[in-house]
Amino acid sequence: MSNTIIRFENVTKVFDDHIVLDNVSFEIERGKFYTLLGPSGCGKTTILRLIAGFVEPTQGNIYIDENCVNKIPANLRPVNTVFQDYALFPHLNVFENVAFGLRIKKVSAHEVKERVANALKFVNLEGFENREITEMSGGQRQRVAIARAIVNQPQLVLLDEPLSALDLKLRTEMQYELRELQQRLGITFVFVTHDQEEALAMSDEIFVLNKGTIQQSGTPTDIYDEPINRFVADFIGESNIVEGTMLADNLVSFANRTFDCVDMGFNQNEPVEVIIRPEDLEMTSAETGKIPVKVDSQLFRGVHYEICCYDDFKNEWLVHSTKKVEVGSTIGLDFDPEAIHIMRLGETEAEFDKRLEAYED
Amino acid sequence: MKTKNFGRFALIPYAIWIVLFVIAPLLLIAYNSFLDIEGNFTLLNYAKLFSPVYMKMMFNSFLYASIVTAVSLLVGYPVAYLLSRTKHKRLWLVLMILPSWINLLLKTYAFLGILGTEGPVNAFLEAIGIGGQQLLFNDFSFIFVSTYIFIPFMILPIFNAIEKINPSLIYASRDLGASNITTFQRVIFPLTKDGIQSGFQLVFIPTLSLFMITRLIAGNRVITLGTAIEQHFLVTQDWGMGSAIAVVLIIAMAIVMYATRKIMK
Amino acid sequence: MEKQKKWFANSYLLLVFAILYAPIIFLAIYSFNSGGSMVGFEEFTFEWYQELFTDTRLFIILLNTLVVALLSATIATIVGIAGALAIHTIENTKYKSMLLTLNNILIVSPDVIIGASFLILFTVMGISLGFFSVLLSHIAFSIPIVVIMILPKLKEMSPSLIDAAQDLGASRWQVISRVILPYITSGIFAGFFTALTFSLDDFAVTFFVTGNGFNTLAVEVYSLARQGISLKINALSTIIFMITLILVLGYYFLSTRKKPVMIGGDE
Repeated sequence: MSNTIIRFENVTKVFDDHIVLDNVSFEIERGKFYTLLGPSGCGKTTILRLIAGFVEPTQGNIYIDENCVNKIPANLRPVNTVFQDYALFPHLNVFENVAFGLRIKKVSAHEVKERVANALKFVNLEGFENREITEMSGGQRQRVAIARAIVNQPQLVLLDEPLSALDLKLRTEMQYELRELQQRLGITFVFVTHDQEEALAMSDEIFVLNKGTIQQSGTPTDIYDEPINRFVADFIGESNIVEGTMLADNLVSFANRTFDCVDMGFNQNEPVEVIIRPEDLEMTSAETGKIPVKVDSQLFRGVHYEICCYDDFKNEWLVHSTKKVEVGSTIGLDFDPEAIHIMRLGETEAEFDKRLEAYED
Repeated sequence: MKTKNFGRFALIPYAIWIVLFVIAPLLLIAYNSFLDIEGNFTLLNYAKLFSPVYMKMMFNSFLYASIVTAVSLLVGYPVAYLLSRTKHKRLWLVLMILPSWINLLLKTYAFLGILGTEGPVNAFLEAIGIGGQQLLFNDFSFIFVSTYIFIPFMILPIFNAIEKINPSLIYASRDLGASNITTFQRVIFPLTKDGIQSGFQLVFIPTLSLFMITRLIAGNRVITLGTAIEQHFLVTQDWGMGSAIAVVLIIAMAIVMYATRKIMK
Repeated sequence: MEKQKKWFANSYLLLVFAILYAPIIFLAIYSFNSGGSMVGFEEFTFEWYQELFTDTRLFIILLNTLVVALLSATIATIVGIAGALAIHTIENTKYKSMLLTLNNILIVSPDVIIGASFLILFTVMGISLGFFSVLLSHIAFSIPIVVIMILPKLKEMSPSLIDAAQDLGASRWQVISRVILPYITSGIFAGFFTALTFSLDDFAVTFFVTGNGFNTLAVEVYSLARQGISLKINALSTIIFMITLILVLGYYFLSTRKKPVMIGGDE
């Protein structure tokens, strides 16, 4: 059995002359937790619906277990979905909702009872069998929806922003639970969200999407530390992005100064974009800092202060610090060469990977 | 997307119904309106419609329908509003609709007794010194009984529209300083316009074409378009003339529906 | 001041209710009149009720009315469900609104026009006037009402429910039978009962399309009314009204007891 469970081969989807997915290719491996991350309208839900079989690709092929499934309807695919609005059947109670798929497959009554009980146990809903859906809270409905998907023992569970309707605290709890559930079951989860924190916290692999194409894929740390372009950098966490010039390997100039960095493989004097994450910036006195800035505003965020500063060239610098500063004062910013990340303008994922490989050797 | 197919399958009996019982009857009415009593082509039916007899009948029909609709609205709106404020309003509403489930001819017939010269209303009028009145077989009895029959169709949509209003809108209006009356004028009334529109259509159009009540209680006079159609189809057997009146009625109806939609927007 | 207003409001409602029920009460009172007409109450009697139960002609008419109502409501509900599903699944908005307009034509059409046009239709098609033509007409004018009662339920149903059912392995037919139909049950019942009432209540259309030898209650009452109705009919309508009243109130109290939310503890 190959390790690849889903393969998209140059898949394009067009709705009413509008290209929602543009020539997308990727592979999904067995037993991992994948997240499709992107703003609304980026095509992430379309990918999910293509896998589930609710829509057919306009062009290209989709393979499940190396079988082309373009023409296979949703009800015959070994895939189950947890819907954004849970899509629980209001006329059925909890037990019958979970049993729905098994009843369709004409599983014996005894086995249905056992498997539903197991599934409900898995999502911590033992004893809720006879409840009506209307009697369940949002978090409980969520669990019923998950139980209803996993009870069919699918090879793949698709989750379409299932946490978006929950409040913050419950959402964080469910993130842990989902991650843990996936690891216990050992089946592949494909999770769709627009919440970058959720994606970073739960996934083995993240696909960042924008405007119908995959911008970047990789582990959460890869994507956070080495965003491929401005979109990814902006979308994953907060970043300071300024214009700069690559003077030579390991030497970059921005904010009218020259700094050491650890990036290579650029042309001499190539214009680039420079990223420094707000938590990588240290505040010192104006004299000792690498960049002098003026504090514009300060917000208390609980764990840290979010401080917004401007340098002499009108570049905005966001700093996360546990220390408080005085608004209007001039301070200095300090950072390590490793904190600087350089992005080539208009570089694709393939080119990016090639360049990284080249200088890692 | 996949659900499209069972839609097509389900369409078949429904499509047959549309063709056979919606489109075909309309076409047949239109076609018949150009036939004389012997089945030859003629435009005479339409020409006759412009004679004083029919012009007066059309005018009367619209007049009566307008009066009945206006009275229904004036009496029915407060009823709908007050009903929505009672406890157990659903129960009251059901009780309000219940009489309309009794065959309306029977109720009309009962009014023959109630409003008759020896009926309780006249007995009451005599007792308080006003003296007996001729209450039957005139315009009053026609308008009264028509209103009686159609008023639930005015109350129901208005009640539903009032029920749909989010209560916080009324609190908001009060909070912003509006009095009860202003709240009604500026918030409740505008938000129930849809209900009034449905009520208007549900009362005006059927009244325009009433015929059995006219026969029973308005003194057997042919005074509305409805009676005229019945007369031509079932008494004189002049289907052509009847169809021509029906065509006019359909056009008038379409105009009324279109106009109410425009005005209420 | 507040009290006065409330008193005024209550008496207004009371007056309207009194007028609404006046003819029904009037009919009921005179059903016990030994005088034989609705003028002048003589003595209390059960005579009319006794006569009613021995009147086979009236019994057959009543049976006709019920059979037509039940049959037409059932068939109209089935076709109406199909129609509502068809309209609901059409995605092209132009096509959809055209179908809806066609659907609503019979709802807004006056009875006289429906009756007259159906009379022409049956004559052209060579269908003899009687039970069959009455049944067909009742089915025809009930279908759009059923559609209108079901469509809002379909609209309210989240499309993801259908996706979910398919996702869990349901075939198209299973999606309909296990998810859609149970979901719209209340709409189907509402449609069925409205169709039933419309059929029981209909006079005008039946009057046009019925032939000799087949009568429904409404048509019979009309033909009798002009000569003066026997108090048997009063007795019959009193019984019908009492049954309706008991059914409706019974249903109301049962349904409110089950769901206390429905009572609406509103001010």
